[in-house]
Amino acid sequence: MRASEAELRGLMIGGLDGNAADHAALLRLLVPLLRGFYRRRSGGAEDDIEDLVQETLIAVHTRRATYDRDRAFTAWLFAIARYKMIDHFRRSRRHQPIEGLEDILVAEGFEDASSARMDVDDLLGALPAKQARLIRATRIDGLSVAEAAEADGLGESDVKVSVHRGLKTLMARIQGGRR
Amino acid sequence: MNTDDLIASLSRDVPPVRRGAVGRRILAGMAVGGVLSIALVVAWMGVRPDLGKAMHGFPFWMKWTYTLSLSIGALVMAAQLARPDTGRLRGLWLIAIPVLLLASVGAMELIRTPPGEWLKMWLSYSWMQCPWRVLALAMPIFVGLLWSFRRLAPTRLRAAGATAGLAAGAFAATVYCLHCPEVSAIFVLTWYSLGILLATGIGALLGPRLMRW
Repeated sequence: MRASEAELRGLMIGGLDGNAADHAALLRLLVPLLRGFYRRRSGGAEDDIEDLVQETLIAVHTRRATYDRDRAFTAWLFAIARYKMIDHFRRSRRHQPIEGLEDILVAEGFEDASSARMDVDDLLGALPAKQARLIRATRIDGLSVAEAAEADGLGESDVKVSVHRGLKTLMARIQGGRR
Repeated sequence: MNTDDLIASLSRDVPPVRRGAVGRRILAGMAVGGVLSIALVVAWMGVRPDLGKAMHGFPFWMKWTYTLSLSIGALVMAAQLARPDTGRLRGLWLIAIPVLLLASVGAMELIRTPPGEWLKMWLSYSWMQCPWRVLALAMPIFVGLLWSFRRLAPTRLRAAGATAGLAAGAFAATVYCLHCPEVSAIFVLTWYSLGILLATGIGALLGPRLMRW
């Protein structure tokens, strides 16, 4: 059951008058309210939501002097909640590059990634097995030439030559296909 | 930390809050900064020797009325911006009144003065120092207001920073009147206001960084 505005406001004013029990009751009633508020808006991880709820409770407590007894309590509460949410997103995004974010999101799209892999599979399938295997090992799986040579029981120069020939064939095919 | 534990620990410390706590907090920060600013004028520039005599004249009160009414207007804005749920700012246009009044005094001054002396009246002898001194004197007041805002809840940080800067700059100009012997309205309108505007701009720049909570 949701607490009403009148009830919350009564408890808030009780807290402002120094009644600790009212204040505790208010904060407890705010928890489900704030969880709902953040869940609807962020769709983020449950941890984030709980962090935001706690931050907002702390702000409600430390900044309770800014509540004007003559105004609506929930308007004040949600103004704080909204501010905390914006601040939270601003902070968590600071560690990501903002420029080109669109490109990153598109490039990281699952569909694009899987269709790119299918393209690569198609192309490599047209090469001799040895060349395809070595290109996959050195260029896609990220092995060094020495590691790939050892894994295949080949000489390093053999690996280099195979990769080089395979890539040259692929290049010719892609350019030919474009024309 | 568990949310229930958090609530329990927060509820351990519930001092009563009186009505008008926001206003008192802002005035307290302003007062502490203002005292520092006055001390700075006394120690650094010196109070003008003819202050007692000047306080019987029109120019001194013109300057005080202009700067004090601006700082009061800015404080009224700051008190509104200190609350998270303030919608539209009320009374913003009131800040224009002192500016318009001083401008009309300045216009009369220009009419009464021969045009050949306008430049001398406008620049006088301290126009180069005046804005910078006002800005310097605004700093302690601005810091005092930042302290006030630490326990308040502004959600429009740039506007809150700008009003804090305006209040600090305008009150710094009031304090600067203790030193500055200039008498011309157009001097005050230009150079005092420039210092006040600089403080406002710095406040707007720093607000989003320093007032976050």
